[in-house]
Amino acid sequence: MRDAYLVGAAQTDFGSFPDESYRSLFRTAFEAACDSVPAGIDPDDVDEAAVGTLGVGGRQLGLSGPAVTEHVGLDGIPCTRVENACAASGYAVRQAVQAVKSGMADVVLAGGVEIMTDTSSDATKYWLGVSGETEWERLSGTTFAGVYAQMADAHMEKYGTTVEDLSRVAVKNHANGAKNPHAHLGFECSLEDATNAQVVADPLTLYHCCPTTDGAACAVVVSEDVVDEYTDDPIRIAGVGAASDRVGLFQRDTYTSVPASREAAQSAYEMAGVRPEDIDFAEVHDCFAIAELLAYEDLGFCEPGGAGELVSSGTTELGGERPVNTSGGLKSKGHPIGATGAGQMVEAYKQLSGTAGERQVEGATRGLTHNVGGSGGAAVVHVLERESEVET
Amino acid sequence: MTGDERTPNIAAVGAYAPRFRISAEAFTEAWGQFHAAGVNGKAVPDADEDALTMAYEAATRALEAAGNPDVAFLAFASTTPPMAEEDVTTRLGGMLDVPDDATRHVFTGSTRAGTRALVAGFTAGPWNDGVGLVVAADCPRGEPDSSEDHAAGAGAAAFVLSDDGPVSIDGQSEYAVEFPGTRFRETGDSTVEGLGVTSYDRETFSETLAGAVGGLEADVGTVDAAAVQAPDGKLPYRAAGALGVGVDEIRAGALVHELGDTGAASVPLSLAKSLADGHERILATSFGSGAGADALLVSRNDDVPVSLELDGDDPVSYPEYLRLRGDLTSGPPSGGGAYVSVPSWRRTLDQRHRLLAGRCPDCGALNFPPEGACNGCNSLVEYESVKLTGEGTVEAVTTISQGGAPPEFAEQQAKSGDFDVAVVSLSGSDGGEASVPAQVAGTEPGTLEIGDAVATTMRRIYTQEGVTRYGFKIRPLAVES
Repeated sequence: MRDAYLVGAAQTDFGSFPDESYRSLFRTAFEAACDSVPAGIDPDDVDEAAVGTLGVGGRQLGLSGPAVTEHVGLDGIPCTRVENACAASGYAVRQAVQAVKSGMADVVLAGGVEIMTDTSSDATKYWLGVSGETEWERLSGTTFAGVYAQMADAHMEKYGTTVEDLSRVAVKNHANGAKNPHAHLGFECSLEDATNAQVVADPLTLYHCCPTTDGAACAVVVSEDVVDEYTDDPIRIAGVGAASDRVGLFQRDTYTSVPASREAAQSAYEMAGVRPEDIDFAEVHDCFAIAELLAYEDLGFCEPGGAGELVSSGTTELGGERPVNTSGGLKSKGHPIGATGAGQMVEAYKQLSGTAGERQVEGATRGLTHNVGGSGGAAVVHVLERESEVET
Repeated sequence: MTGDERTPNIAAVGAYAPRFRISAEAFTEAWGQFHAAGVNGKAVPDADEDALTMAYEAATRALEAAGNPDVAFLAFASTTPPMAEEDVTTRLGGMLDVPDDATRHVFTGSTRAGTRALVAGFTAGPWNDGVGLVVAADCPRGEPDSSEDHAAGAGAAAFVLSDDGPVSIDGQSEYAVEFPGTRFRETGDSTVEGLGVTSYDRETFSETLAGAVGGLEADVGTVDAAAVQAPDGKLPYRAAGALGVGVDEIRAGALVHELGDTGAASVPLSLAKSLADGHERILATSFGSGAGADALLVSRNDDVPVSLELDGDDPVSYPEYLRLRGDLTSGPPSGGGAYVSVPSWRRTLDQRHRLLAGRCPDCGALNFPPEGACNGCNSLVEYESVKLTGEGTVEAVTTISQGGAPPEFAEQQAKSGDFDVAVVSLSGSDGGEASVPAQVAGTEPGTLEIGDAVATTMRRIYTQEGVTRYGFKIRPLAVES
C-alpha cells in the first residue's frame, strides 16, 4: 500500500469561548490548517473528510460531519462523524490514513471539534459520564475521574506509585503549556499546588484532572502520489495502530494498564518498523495524571510499574531524553473531547517541521501520538517520521 | 386466631437501625429546647435508605438466623412506605427471593400497622410450602419545629414465623374506638402532625391500650418485659398503670430512648429486643392513631435465633440531619442524567436484586452480568445461571468528592456528601469470581482498601422520572472477633 503523509495541521486556541459555535471554531482550525501547508492547498483538492466530535450539549448529534465541512465550503465531499469518545479525532486521522493508503482518496481532511463550556455544570457532568459503561459503571457512581482514580488506586497499591508522581505530571505539563499560546490553562503550577488541590476522586485532585474545554483542530493527510505538491519536507505517517477493549473498567483483564493502548502501540511500532526507544517525543493522552503514567508503560517507554520513576527522572520533560506532551498535554493545553486527537497531530506536525518555537525538541525526527477513548475502550497510536534526515 | 389450634410461632428475629445518630443535645443547640420527652437520641437514615431498604436489612438478618427457609407469606408494615401507591412487597420479595405466588400484604395507615402484620401472619399460618416473614420498617417525619419530628427515629424488625419456632403467642386481642386528631398525616404530605391537646392525647393512648390489654384472658402482671408503643420516651411509661405492668418491664423493652419514635416498627423492635435479651414472658402492645391497639402475650420457650444491628453510633449534627432528610437540598439536577429506561432497568433486576451471574459453559469463567461474549474466552455462549454469594473483596476503590459524581448521584451527594465506589470481586456460590463496580454504603468514606472483605446489601441507587431504582451496594464485612 502507498504511504500517507501529514502536510498540515493547526488548532484554534483551546479555552472557553461563549461567542463561538462548533462551526465557527471548526472554520478557524480549518483555515489555519490550510495555511500551515508549506506550499499551500486549494480546498477543492480535499476528497473527503472525517470529523471527530462527541457532541457535548447535544448541539448537533446527527450529521455533525457535513454540518462543519459544508460550513467551510468543502461542498459535496463525503464526510463521516467519528465517535470514539476522546479518541474520536485520533480515529478520524486513522480513517484518513486508511482512505489515502487504500488508494480511494489523495487528500483527506481529518479534524475534530467540541464545545463543552456553554452548558451548566450539571449538564456538563451528564456528558462527561457518557463514555463510561453506563448501566453498571456509571450507575455505581463514577464519571471518568472516578474510574481513572480506581486505576490509580490499583497502580499505587501494586507498584508503589505515589501522589507526588501524579503531581509531577501536572507540573511538567503546565510548564510546557505555559509555552503554548493555544493552551487553555497556559500557566505553571507547583508540586504543592497539584498535591494540595481539592480532591475530585481520591487520589486525583483538581490538578490531576484535565479541564473541560472548547476547541477545534484539523490535519491534512495526503498520499505519496501527491505529497510533492504540498511540501518539500514531508512528514510520513509511518505507523498507525488501534484497538478496542471492554468499555467498563470492571470487565477488563487489568486495572493497572490500558490494554487497548498497548495493542495499538504494538501495531503502530510494527507497521513503522520501530521500537519505543526510537521515539524522540510523544503526545500522550493525559486526561488524568495517572493516564500519562500508564501511557509510559503501555507505550513501552518503561517497564510496568516504572512510570513513577520515569516521570521523576526528568526524562519526559521538555529538555529530557524523550519529552512527553510538549504541548502541555490534555491537562494544560485542554481537552475538547472530539478535537484532542487532531490537536495531538498539530504538536507532532510542529515538532517534526521545526516550528514548535520555545517547545522545540532539538533534532526531532520521529514522534508518536497516543489518543484514548474513555477509560480505555478505544485507543489509537500514530508514529510519524520526518523523511529528510531519517536515520537508517 | 382463637379457636384455631395451629398458630405458627416466631422462629427467628432480625432487626436493623441506620448507623447515624443525632442527640437530644444537638436539637437543643439548634432550637433552644428539645420537644421529645425521654428521647436521648435518634437513628437517622442515610440518604440512600428508606423503609424498603431497612426492611431488607432486618429481613435478611431474620432469614439468615432461620437458616434461609423458603418464604410462603410476606407482610410489610410501615407508615412511610417509599410509594403511597405501588406495591412495595414485589420489590422487597424480589430482593429476598420470595416466590411469585407467595401471599403478600402491605400494612400501613397508622403506627399499629406492625402488629397488624404480625397478627395477620399468626392468623394465616403455618404454611406447607415455607415460612411466614413479617417485616415492620419505619422512618416517620414531622415539620422540623414539631414535637413529632423531634421524636422521629428510624428502624426495622423482622420475624420468621413457622410452626416449630421457640416463641409462641399465648394471647391476642384488639381494640379500636374513635379518637380522631391525635396524630395524623394528610394524603400527599410527608410529615406527621398532632394538635398538642395534651390531656386528650394521653387519654387516647391509655384508654386504647387498656382496652386491648383488657381483652387478653391473662394476667399481664407476671410479664418480665413490655414492648409498648413509644411515640416518645415518656408516654409508654405513663400508660403503665392502664396496662397493668411496671415501669421496669416497660424499660426492659424500650428502644425509644436511643432510636426515637420508630412508628409501625416500634413494638416489633421492642419485641425483638426483649426476645434477644432473654426475656421469657413479654406483653406487646401497639397503638395506632384513629385509634386502635393490639395486645399480644408472647412466651419465649427456648433460645431464639436473633440477629440485631441496632448499635450504630455515627453522630450527625443538626444541619447534617436536615441535609440527610433533603430539607436543605434543591433536588435533582437540571440537564438530566444517564437515561436507562424503566424497561431497561427492569431487565437488570436479576442482577440488581438477586445477584444472578452466569458461568461460561466453555471456559468456566463467571460473568456478571451474564450477557454477551464471555469475559474469559470471548465466545458468545448461553450462560448457566449462578447466584453470587454477596461476599467479595475490594480490587480498587476511590472516594468521589465534589465534581466527581455523575448527575444521577447529585442529589445523594448533596444530602450525604462524599461516597466511595469500588470494583469488587464477588464470589460465585459454587466457586469463581466476577468483578463488579459497586458503591459503598454504611460506612465512612475512605474506610475500604484493596483486599478488604465486603458484603452486598440493598440501597436506593437513584430516582428518575419519579421511579426509584434500588440495587446492591457493598458494606465492609463484619469481622468475627
